[in-house]
Amino acid sequence: MSPAGKKENRSRLIGYSLGAWIFGIGLWQAVAWTVTAARGVPFPTPWECVTVVWEMAHGTVFLEYTIYHHTLVSLARWAEGFGIGLATGLAYALLAGGWVPVRRVTMPTVEVLQVIPGLAWIPVAILLFGLNQTATVAIIALTTFPALAIAGVMGVRSVDSHYVRAGRMCGAGPCALLATVFLPGALPHLLSGLRIALGAAWRVLVAAEMIVGSGDGLGYAIIQSRWTMDYASAFACIAIIAAFGLGMERVLLLPLERRTVEHWGMSHDQ
Amino acid sequence: MTNDPILELRQVRKVFPEQGRQEAVVALDGLDLILNAGEFVAIVGASGSGKSTLVDLVAGFTQPTSGTVTVKGKPVRAPGPDRVVVFQDHAVFPWYTALDNVAYGLRRQGMRRRRARERAREALCQVGLQDFAHAYPAALSGGMRQRVALARALVLRPDILLLDEPFASLDAVMRSRLQDELTGLWRQFGWTVLFVTHILTEAVYLADRVVVLDRPPSGLRAIERIGLPRPRNRLDARLAEQTEELRARMGGSLDTFNGETQAGQRQRQEERYYA
Repeated sequence: MSPAGKKENRSRLIGYSLGAWIFGIGLWQAVAWTVTAARGVPFPTPWECVTVVWEMAHGTVFLEYTIYHHTLVSLARWAEGFGIGLATGLAYALLAGGWVPVRRVTMPTVEVLQVIPGLAWIPVAILLFGLNQTATVAIIALTTFPALAIAGVMGVRSVDSHYVRAGRMCGAGPCALLATVFLPGALPHLLSGLRIALGAAWRVLVAAEMIVGSGDGLGYAIIQSRWTMDYASAFACIAIIAAFGLGMERVLLLPLERRTVEHWGMSHDQ
Repeated sequence: MTNDPILELRQVRKVFPEQGRQEAVVALDGLDLILNAGEFVAIVGASGSGKSTLVDLVAGFTQPTSGTVTVKGKPVRAPGPDRVVVFQDHAVFPWYTALDNVAYGLRRQGMRRRRARERAREALCQVGLQDFAHAYPAALSGGMRQRVALARALVLRPDILLLDEPFASLDAVMRSRLQDELTGLWRQFGWTVLFVTHILTEAVYLADRVVVLDRPPSGLRAIERIGLPRPRNRLDARLAEQTEELRARMGGSLDTFNGETQAGQRQRQEERYYA
């Protein structure tokens, strides 16, 4: 491609991403103006949120803690719950994908877990662990697990039997087969599962913090700001949540995808 | 070249049990076959003649319903690095580079990474892929992938090299190139080769002995010794003569083995190319 063409491409790229920002923020601004005009209640505008986030970023104490504390606490809960769900989901997928009796006996239960909405786990988790941090983490893990487990089992089953045969004739035992054939072979499905689980875990975390009163965290902050009529702060927290949810996909998942399945020519759209 | 039998099949029968609506299929029945060490044997037959089943049995992917398959006197029970297969669709792992694909088997034998990679590099040189060691299969052409599969097999120094229609998905030019490379390597290293194909010309050109297989109950139709000196020439009249003679003896049935006229036509075209 000529340098001129490249340049044109880049300016087009900038144009589109600028357009995307203007569309999103503009929509928000329009809703804010309309609501304020029609219902007479002050609806936080993007600019108000930016100023609130700016103040928060300078360490203003907000609901007894700084925003950094709230964010970090939420992130830690997410990481713990997601980590447990990821590890168990992966282990289950390899076990059930490779061993038919396990799959046929346990899969229906996992499928039931999959269709239960994340929030429905709240009473169950409270019953199991009480009103505390463990309950929150458990809810996240319970949301993450089935998404990964089902995608993983599908992935393991989708591995071409020729690869399994090739592995076996090269002398791979069951463990080596799992690590060198089934796991990489299942990766395209696993990444789809990961994408679903990532978003679901983050959403359910915020919801769980709202209900399983924990005294800190972004979800708690949102619900508390509502009671104190501090809507701008609530919106600021929502923006932070959205940024993290989107950022995780862009920062964790996309590079992983590029480095693996796309590089291997295994992504679905190829 | 020694003449000790390395692979022996005795009265081998393989039946695939009925599944749902599909009736039980007898793939092989009462098959006797002996391969001597260092021999290049080609199996020719149409689809349904059980030639792929034969490869699976020798590789140890499946067990015979009755009869015995022994390698060096020991019955085959499971797949192993002493009997490696080059599959039709190569089955090279897309998630490893060419080098790691070839080193894979050695690593599974417990060889250290460094040493395994060294050996893998040598094997890649032998198939002419030294410049593509770090490429992923997705970036390689069909012929190159098949070479990686060949290198992955030969690096293990197997007792028997099993090739299941290895060049079927390649174009004619690439196929004849790989055929010559294969016979070159075979002459250099003296493996025992079992080569499965549906093209009679290919079989006669490559093999010391050609085994013609038909659907049971016909089963084994002929075992033909090809005494032509090596290296062989595709234009050698004796090659065409022997092919035609064998085809005539098979009652012309080789072409219309499976009754699929289109496949038969394509096969004729392919064979005309070599003739």
